[in-house]
Amino acid sequence: MGIIDSNLSLRNRNKLLLGIWEDEDKLVEATSELVHAGVKIQDVYTPYPVHGLDRVMGIRRSWLSIVAFLCGATGFSLAFWMIYYMYVQDWPLDVGNKPVRFSPSWVPVLFEATVLCTAFGMGFFFFLRNRMIWGIKPELLDERQTDDRMVIAVETDESVDEKKVLKIMKDHGAVELRESNGGVQTTI
Amino acid sequence: MGHGHHKIEITQEQFTVPAKAKRFAIGLTVIGLILAGIGIATMDNGSSHGHSHEATTVVKHDHAATENHGEAAEAGKHVAETEHHGNVENPNFGPRAEFYTQTKPWATRIWSNILIVGYLLFMVSLAALFFVAVQYIANAGWSAAIKRVPEAISTFFPVGFAIAFIAILVAKNDLYHWVHYEHLHLTKGQPGFDAILDGKSWFLNSKMFLIFPVVLVAIWWLLGRKLRSLSVAEDSAQPGDVSFFKKSIRFSAGFSVIYGFTIAVVAWLWMMSIDAHWFSTIFGVYNFATAWVTALTIICLFVLYLKSQGYLKIVTDEHIHDLGKFMFAFSIFWTYIWLSQYLLIWYAHIPEEMSYYQIRFEEYKFNFLLNVVLNFLCPFLILMTRNSKRNPVVLTIVGCILIFGHYHDVWLMVVPGVFGPGQQIGLLEIGTLLTFGGVFIFWVLNALTKRGLIAVNHPYIEESAHHDVGV
Repeated sequence: MGIIDSNLSLRNRNKLLLGIWEDEDKLVEATSELVHAGVKIQDVYTPYPVHGLDRVMGIRRSWLSIVAFLCGATGFSLAFWMIYYMYVQDWPLDVGNKPVRFSPSWVPVLFEATVLCTAFGMGFFFFLRNRMIWGIKPELLDERQTDDRMVIAVETDESVDEKKVLKIMKDHGAVELRESNGGVQTTI
Repeated sequence: MGHGHHKIEITQEQFTVPAKAKRFAIGLTVIGLILAGIGIATMDNGSSHGHSHEATTVVKHDHAATENHGEAAEAGKHVAETEHHGNVENPNFGPRAEFYTQTKPWATRIWSNILIVGYLLFMVSLAALFFVAVQYIANAGWSAAIKRVPEAISTFFPVGFAIAFIAILVAKNDLYHWVHYEHLHLTKGQPGFDAILDGKSWFLNSKMFLIFPVVLVAIWWLLGRKLRSLSVAEDSAQPGDVSFFKKSIRFSAGFSVIYGFTIAVVAWLWMMSIDAHWFSTIFGVYNFATAWVTALTIICLFVLYLKSQGYLKIVTDEHIHDLGKFMFAFSIFWTYIWLSQYLLIWYAHIPEEMSYYQIRFEEYKFNFLLNVVLNFLCPFLILMTRNSKRNPVVLTIVGCILIFGHYHDVWLMVVPGVFGPGQQIGLLEIGTLLTFGGVFIFWVLNALTKRGLIAVNHPYIEESAHHDVGV
């Protein structure tokens, strides 16, 4: 698995069964039922974060905080090297007779560079991993999934009992059921 | 809420102080008194350390010299009157030797300890009240489940205030050298006249010093009592009645504005005026940061304790995690403010501003750096990961480090200004901290029994019970 999450891509997929929801509580309920029934969910698409959904889906913790730490450490090191090279090695300046080496005046620069690299790094890797970066075409299962609708997508193969999946979806408040074959959707 | 499909039962809980907790609190006080007693008994003419004894002798000698000749004072006067263009050697800007001469150094040391601990506990308890107010103003839902804990802590602030106030009433002549100067009633032109202290005397005088904080405490106490009584009245209100909540928001807003402006005044009068020639515009914020992070720590520790005793059933790891984040974040905030004060003074290099740091950096280097280790490096490195912020043992250890660290911070605000060089944290200091710490714990545990532990009719109690910060 690369940095860009290929699991999230919809291209080259088998048939997808799609359930569309309007109510987040019912969505969480349906997800929980599907997980308990042993169905492997490809992903759940919601226009905003739904509390508890990550736990129900069994998503493991994001690596984002580790990325943040590494970016912060990088920023700190770069700034340290920059100040050391410019201010100690290359061109020491006497400012009010302050010490040149490791003085308190380094602290704001180190702090700012650390924060800057952490914030930019986190933003960059977050969007990269979630396929929201230049060159990647957005793939929507439903045009309203960025507005007020939520989608559960289940990828099918021989081992999946399609009828069972569709029944669970229907019983737990799906307002619409569809299947998607290579990007072409048909209502069930 | 996402968990709408499963209902959490919210029931009232009544706390009774376990005998073990009572023994612990009383034990702390007793051990504290014993340690303080040993500390006093082993003090050698006002100090338990040979090094500091030596310093005291030197200082006394200097004092005699100054009295006999008055040269230093004369020189100081001259420069002070010509628009403060002095240098480091100018005795009016730096800490002067005669400032550190107390009539009874050992008594002053005891009173300064009581002032430090009283001031810290007073500021912390008041910050707990500010915590309650902030939750209302921010319309915060998550904290509704733990809200009775800061409310109980906030009942202590008049006591903490009284402890500090008694120390000030008894020993203000020795703790604050400007009080000593005030009694001389010098006018311009007389030998020993101090232009800086004279210029500040419209604000920094005994009347203002004693009356202003008392008036402020009365106002805070009234607002705090109102907030607490609204909170209790809500418990027996009709479910769905938000009138108490709305009223609480208004009182919280009022309290926060008053608190925000006036807490700095107490910090100026009681802490900053110890080094009366010195001033720092960020000092009020710095004192607030110290009190605020300590208050968050103490709230967290009490919540953990209640949780370990089986109370606060609707409080989960999620709430603990948020309190841990608060401790982590505001430790960094404290460091930010602490460094801001230091960095600007270090950079500008103006003698009258530097005097405060000169003695702390030259004579108290170990303590000066220990401050950063205890209050920044420890919480920053230990509480960085998610798991440690959700672990009660780690939080308790870091909490104890932070409480001692911020005690140490206040100690470093007071002691170099009162005694000059040569003091250390000894048995007396630890003993005083434990003594009043025990009283504080006993008081707060008792306050927790006075009302239900859960704000059952708080409009956000349901939201708080379902609080979830995600995976």
